[in-house]
Amino acid sequence: MYLILLSIFFPVLAGTCLLIKKEAADRRSLLITTGICFVLTGVLVSATLLTAYGTGFTLFYLTQSLPVCFGVDAMSVIFSAMTMIIFLCAGFFSFEYMKHETKEKRYYGYYLIVFGVLNALCFAGNLITFYLFFEMLTLTSMPLVLHNGSREAIMAGLKYLFYSLCGAYAALFGIYFIHKYSDSLSFTAGGVLTSSAMTEHAGLLLIVAFVMILGFGVKAGMFPMHAWLPAAHPVAPAPASAVLSAVIVKAGILAIVRLVYYIFGVSFLQGSWVQTAWLVLTLTTVFMGSMLAYREKILKKRLAYSTVSQLSYILFGLAVMDAGSVTGGLLHVLAHGFIKSALFLCAGAIIYTTGKTRVDELRGIGKEMPLTMWCYTIVSLGLIGIPPTGGFVSKWYLATGSLHSSIPVFSWLGPVILLVSALLTAGYLLPLTIQGFFPGADYDYEHFKKREPSRLMTIPLVILTVLSVLVGLFPTPVIDYLTQIVSTIL
Amino acid sequence: MIILVILLPFIAGILVPLLPFKKRSHWEIFLECAVILNSILVWYLMLHHSDSTFVLAHFTGDLNISFRVDGLSMVFAGLVSALWPFATLYAFEYMTKEEHEKIFFLFYTMTYGVTLGIALAANLLTMYFFYELLTLVTVPLVMHTLTREAILASRKYLYYSLGGAAFAFLGLIMIIVYGTTNNFILGGVLDPARIGDKTNVLLLIYVIAFMGFGVKAAVCPFNSWLPQAGVAPTPVTALLHAVAVVKSGAFAIIRLTYYSFGTDFLRGTWAQTTVMIIVMFTIVYGCSRAVKETHLKRRLAYSTISNLSYILFGAVIMTPLGLVGALSHLIIHAVMKISSFFCAGAIIHQTERNYVHELDGMGYKMPCVFGVFTVSALALMGVPGLAGFISKWNLASAAVESGNTVAYFGIVCLLISALLTAIYMLTIVVRAFFPGKDFDYSTLEGVKDPNWKMLAPLFVFTFFIILFGVYSQPLVDFFYDVAAGLY
Repeated sequence: MYLILLSIFFPVLAGTCLLIKKEAADRRSLLITTGICFVLTGVLVSATLLTAYGTGFTLFYLTQSLPVCFGVDAMSVIFSAMTMIIFLCAGFFSFEYMKHETKEKRYYGYYLIVFGVLNALCFAGNLITFYLFFEMLTLTSMPLVLHNGSREAIMAGLKYLFYSLCGAYAALFGIYFIHKYSDSLSFTAGGVLTSSAMTEHAGLLLIVAFVMILGFGVKAGMFPMHAWLPAAHPVAPAPASAVLSAVIVKAGILAIVRLVYYIFGVSFLQGSWVQTAWLVLTLTTVFMGSMLAYREKILKKRLAYSTVSQLSYILFGLAVMDAGSVTGGLLHVLAHGFIKSALFLCAGAIIYTTGKTRVDELRGIGKEMPLTMWCYTIVSLGLIGIPPTGGFVSKWYLATGSLHSSIPVFSWLGPVILLVSALLTAGYLLPLTIQGFFPGADYDYEHFKKREPSRLMTIPLVILTVLSVLVGLFPTPVIDYLTQIVSTIL
Repeated sequence: MIILVILLPFIAGILVPLLPFKKRSHWEIFLECAVILNSILVWYLMLHHSDSTFVLAHFTGDLNISFRVDGLSMVFAGLVSALWPFATLYAFEYMTKEEHEKIFFLFYTMTYGVTLGIALAANLLTMYFFYELLTLVTVPLVMHTLTREAILASRKYLYYSLGGAAFAFLGLIMIIVYGTTNNFILGGVLDPARIGDKTNVLLLIYVIAFMGFGVKAAVCPFNSWLPQAGVAPTPVTALLHAVAVVKSGAFAIIRLTYYSFGTDFLRGTWAQTTVMIIVMFTIVYGCSRAVKETHLKRRLAYSTISNLSYILFGAVIMTPLGLVGALSHLIIHAVMKISSFFCAGAIIHQTERNYVHELDGMGYKMPCVFGVFTVSALALMGVPGLAGFISKWNLASAAVESGNTVAYFGIVCLLISALLTAIYMLTIVVRAFFPGKDFDYSTLEGVKDPNWKMLAPLFVFTFFIILFGVYSQPLVDFFYDVAAGLY
């Protein structure tokens, strides 16, 4: 119990202290303090996952029927392990990266707070606790978005804030109804709705389910509420973009997983109009995101559009509600997490060393920063879905699961769109590799100088790249674990 | 005893200009003591209440001026008496920059007595009497600065309120004619035998009386007086136009709905649907205007308009749960809004800045004030863990429980309004704390937090916002008892 609480509140408190503390003149001491906090949080989270697995407790009651409770189940393990790894990598990466930004103390303060809030989301034991921290996440991650203080960044921050709140309120609308038509709000595999409510108020509850999926889907960048994502992610400092795009949006995915599989239950939604509408939205998003990424010239924006598309791969897997596709979706949570954070860190390293943001300015970058660009290329192949990287396995499961399901039309349309999108992914990721390593005959080799960033940047990048490959090379233990989870919730 | 708490503020208020006080601090202490004493008396009265009715004057037959402490009056009187001492303390500091302080405090303190009169009234006639009186004692407060703008605003306030009271008077007459008594009895006093085929007339009169009392509660389309009355000094806007006066309107509507006409008579009729739609419209309308408004106090006033209709929305659900929701929001909104208004007042007092776009970067210069403002903003949005979430939860679950389809749309309105609240409150917070990289901090030279007299009330309110957010059970239980008629 104390471990769970510590892993949530230690980073939050540490971050708050950092924010309140007077600006230290010495950058070094700030980094040491922050570094210690990162490591401690990492240790706390790992200890929680190892020892507190399967436990749960109620902290206090908001009102008699609204307990705030936490617990660690298999789903929490997946999400919180991923969160921890990416947060630590991006955190150490920012020690170097943030040299060229101002107000570092504020950045690390909010970074730590967001870390704690994400842990809370992973460990939330019921819908109301989840909702509480879901709102907190929006409020505390907004300062990361508007960090650089330009007008564009502040506007993007506000856009992020209001889109997310809009989604959260749509979800809250549903919570009111679920509260009435269920035994409790705690996450139970298979759902909590009472059987009488499911038969008598099916129409109303389906509307509620749809509104809630849309609402939580805002955070996961699902069409039609995706517009905040390409605005908000690129303006943040690169390591913050990495966690925003790789982890924070996954809170939306986690929300939908919890909602569909732990509150409504598959049996209620399977075959309903909600499922069909949801499938349509996810496939639209997959295609649209890739298309927009393909047309985008600014590297970080391109990656943000790519996130829009990739998140809906996961949502598509969840929406199909077949054992294979759900496993694929959850695996893609991990694969996409590692890959996208690595991609953003690459973009960050490039911006940090060269100051260039547009793809067409980056000719010959592979010659200048070979290690960074190798990582970029490897994880790009993963995102496209070329074996043996992580993306391949997850997409394989997504596609086979979809074909295996008995949903008319979508069972084959889904894989087709996934393949088209994979082609587009190759189209928007690989040109950078090609230009980078093969700048062409007229490339000016005279001004060429090798400028790999420092180890503080490259090591996290390499770790994430290796992890994304490992998920693809040795997926069996992860898949076994996921299959176990899926067998309980389907 | 019960008449004492109403008269004491009158006496104390009148004594302020009359007694020969040597220094400002002397009458400040005198007045503060009187107000605190009165609040203690109110709480004593509530804790040792008896069912007996105190009759002050007897007219003919059933008509009398009488007072009684019941559940609903405990809620309102408890709220007012808890807030008044803090508001007075705050006003001492705020009014140092204004003139005619003694006259101001004369009326300010008298209003306390009048508001308690409304809260403790035992029948519709008494409540109506104090309701009119409230308008009269607060008009001088609105026109306090004596600028052209203030006089126009107070005149508008006067006409609107008196006009509204005239409509409400129709309701009073109908209750006297068709009811068994005009005393407040939970469940209503209408006599079915007398109604006969007049049901529709009575429903129409209910809607008219609702709108009449609704003028003070700033129901659309009778709300334009409230933002204009924001020209008054901030303690008035904060306490009277966010709590005492406007909530008297909401309180009167609750009395009318639950204790005079009775919910059994009204529930499910066209009258309920009509008032519910009006209230839902006001909820969204107030928020949208708040988003558009750039004057800080007027923005908060529009926010009040919307939030008052939250209370009324709970009231017109017309179930015990709806009453619980309405009462929760009555109390919780009061604390949240007075807190944010006091922040606005502190900003005006310290910097004389009135507009939202002038607040850039002030979060670092006035950390306490803007910290409190942020908490109240989050609470008004309904972030869980803060008080606003609890009251909205109660309102929404009452709407869900009622099974009324119109009420379902009411929930949608509540949530749209929550989003708009986020927009108009958080833009201020973001401006204050994240002014952008080109911001020139030298324009804020010398800006600092106000002194303890202003900060202490702010911290107390923030404490209660958080307390009610995480631990509201006793309060909500009490409302359940009130709604069940146990007091």
